[in-house]
Amino acid sequence: MKSTVLVITSGKGGVGKTTTTANLGTALAMMDKRVVMVDTDIGLRNLDVVLGLENRIVFDIVDVVNGNCKLRQALIKDKRFEGLFLLPAAQTKDKSAVTPHQMKNLTNELRKEFDFILVDCPAGIEQGFRNAIAGADNAIVVATPEISSVRDADRIVGLLEASGLFKSRLIINRLRNKMVKNGDMMDVDDIIDILSIDLLGVVPEDESIVISTNRGEPAVMESASRAGAAYKRIARRLTGEGVPMYSVEDEKFLDKFWKLLKIAR
Amino acid sequence: MPNKALKKNTADMIPIDLKGMRNFSEIKAGLEEKIRVIDDFMLGTSVVINIEKINLKAKQIRELEDLLLDYGFHLKDIIKTETKAAEDKHQENKLADDSNEMANMPLYENTALICRHLRSGQKIFSEGNIVVLGDINPGAEVIAGGNILVMGSLRGLAHAGAFGDDSALIAAYRLNPTQLRIANHITRPPDGEVVDMETPELARIKAGKVVIEKLKI
Repeated sequence: MKSTVLVITSGKGGVGKTTTTANLGTALAMMDKRVVMVDTDIGLRNLDVVLGLENRIVFDIVDVVNGNCKLRQALIKDKRFEGLFLLPAAQTKDKSAVTPHQMKNLTNELRKEFDFILVDCPAGIEQGFRNAIAGADNAIVVATPEISSVRDADRIVGLLEASGLFKSRLIINRLRNKMVKNGDMMDVDDIIDILSIDLLGVVPEDESIVISTNRGEPAVMESASRAGAAYKRIARRLTGEGVPMYSVEDEKFLDKFWKLLKIAR
Repeated sequence: MPNKALKKNTADMIPIDLKGMRNFSEIKAGLEEKIRVIDDFMLGTSVVINIEKINLKAKQIRELEDLLLDYGFHLKDIIKTETKAAEDKHQENKLADDSNEMANMPLYENTALICRHLRSGQKIFSEGNIVVLGDINPGAEVIAGGNILVMGSLRGLAHAGAFGDDSALIAAYRLNPTQLRIANHITRPPDGEVVDMETPELARIKAGKVVIEKLKI
């Protein structure tokens, strides 16, 4: 299979880039794909913490691009899944420690061994962003249903297009169905209307994310987690499988369920 | 076509003589009778109607406009004269506010055509007109020396007549801008109330103020 480099980005901070990266990476690995997650948030690394791999870091991305170690030495194998790896960011340097050119070489090196290379992009549009998108084939834009997040996502899609990445796909994170129904939250259609890019998936707001993040165990491993289930569906879409969208599926299923109950009576 | 009331004059306008009509319904019937026999090659031409003395309400004028549009003509002006000299003089005058917008559009040589969405942080400038086939999102800016036409949603900032031409227009399929600027006038939508219009709209300066009205074509 041809390998894919996906950058997960949003512009705004705190919308769930790192959580999304960790969950999609884990979900893909659960489907027996060979996956590496690259943390490019140099100076503010988080991905290792979310995955519970912080204590295994010896070398990092800056060591790799500067030739202090071999790529294999810096890759951390996940403790749970065979085909899942992490290339951590450096914490003591800053974004200028890596150049876009070096990132491109690095992702090309990773392509040889992995099916999916997920690049976790830092917030902002400066050098960290430039580095993260340098080697990517495609982008996944994460946005929450807030006006500020959508505005930043729009800016990011524009910058991605300017860099030649035209097929960005959107993940809407932390959607609250109840608030949407009451008209208190932007709904999926409003967001797509503004961004006009393809929707990859919708992840509902879920408190269990906080728990799993603090534990260092991605939500996709929790079978009861609604957000985890949504991430699993998104991962299946990434492999080219056709999976219906969350919100539609959710309501229709419940409706049918109640109808069946009424008929049975 | 032998019709005394019709003669195509040099200014590409068709004058229609409806003198002697006593009321609106007569005018309407007379107008329809006359435009029905105009040759097809004149389609799209402007029409000037002479109704002598009768005063028409705005609603009635709109009705005549619609009637003409059905046959493919624009109502350019309604005049109330008896003599040819006065009629000519009237045509030279600046057109009244209620006449067709497109006839009032100032002419610019260059027009930039933009076939994509403009996203937050992107900016387009042209000395002439700008036509956007796509949306202008919040945070994006479009600045034109001439007019701006958006065949999509205008949600960002648009500045028409940037060199001070206050006859410049901004038209959009959906007009929901963060800010509109025409020449040296700056406006923004009123705070609080959110009005979602489902029709194309047009912004221009009337009596020193930026006004937004339905786009009638």
